[in-house]
Amino acid sequence: MGFIRLVVFGFIALSIIYLSLSVYFRSVRRENLEDDWAEANPDSSDKAARDVFVADGMASYHGSIRAKLVGLVYVVPTIVVSVIVFMTNAN
Amino acid sequence: MRKLKLGLRVLAVLLVGMVLHYSLPQHDVVRVVSTYQERQDLNDWTRVFWARPDDQSATLVNRDVQFIQTVKKKTWLLGFVQRDTTEAMVYRNEDTGFSWPFYFKFDTANLQTEADDLRSTPEAPKWAVMTHYGWRNEFLSSFPNAISIRPIDSPDARIIPWFNIFFFVFLIVAIVMIRAMWAQFWERTIDPVMDSAGDRYDEASAGIAERKGRLARWLGTWKSKDKR
Repeated sequence: MGFIRLVVFGFIALSIIYLSLSVYFRSVRRENLEDDWAEANPDSSDKAARDVFVADGMASYHGSIRAKLVGLVYVVPTIVVSVIVFMTNAN
Repeated sequence: MRKLKLGLRVLAVLLVGMVLHYSLPQHDVVRVVSTYQERQDLNDWTRVFWARPDDQSATLVNRDVQFIQTVKKKTWLLGFVQRDTTEAMVYRNEDTGFSWPFYFKFDTANLQTEADDLRSTPEAPKWAVMTHYGWRNEFLSSFPNAISIRPIDSPDARIIPWFNIFFFVFLIVAIVMIRAMWAQFWERTIDPVMDSAGDRYDEASAGIAERKGRLARWLGTWKSKDKR
């Protein structure tokens, strides 16, 4: 019973962290892309080209390993809990 | 108002500190004297100081609890500075299971056996490090919960609290991260909305001014023309 409770509430808590982190990293990435564009084209007012540049950058970010590393939010706590269970109960 | 804010902040820090002091692992240098088992009543508010094992009926009002009696080296500063004097310390020995605090302890019976095995006399002391959490309070009859025990050669052994080091590093990283996320959310989501709301307000008031102007001009057309 305690185990099921831990798994359910742990999953909910980790999902909240996962969503917040992935939104945050996407937002930082988008901001960096916008800054890159502004630096490369200081006096361009071509909003469509800028949008294409940012969209391309975001697409390649979504395919990257870095974006997928946010999934570690689920993996690391599971490993930590397993290690603590082992360390506490092994002699 | 400022004093109230400060007071609330101090209160919050104290509460968090108390929870951490209660639930984080601490290490005592002890000499096991004996172990015993005693029936405990669990029907008043001091219930919070006892574990809630999984296989226990929720309506149970008393049960047997195992205890480890020790003589403990006194310390200053949360155990960082050792003193030469000793004091009596009694630990309870209970499973925490999969519930809070998350020690995932299931080996109560084994720990009791190890503690029994380390029993010694003042003449020939066998020292050990006892990892535990919780508070000893004589008036509330609360006991710290023993987590593990390991023998050491000398009572001056250096103890490095690895878990607490990792825990506080993680806590600081988490706080910095949350602040960064909050700042990013504010900068990218709230501020643009506020700006565009401000812009819209400006446009709307400009629009109203213009319409007023048009209305005034239209009304003006009804005025009688210059009489020649």
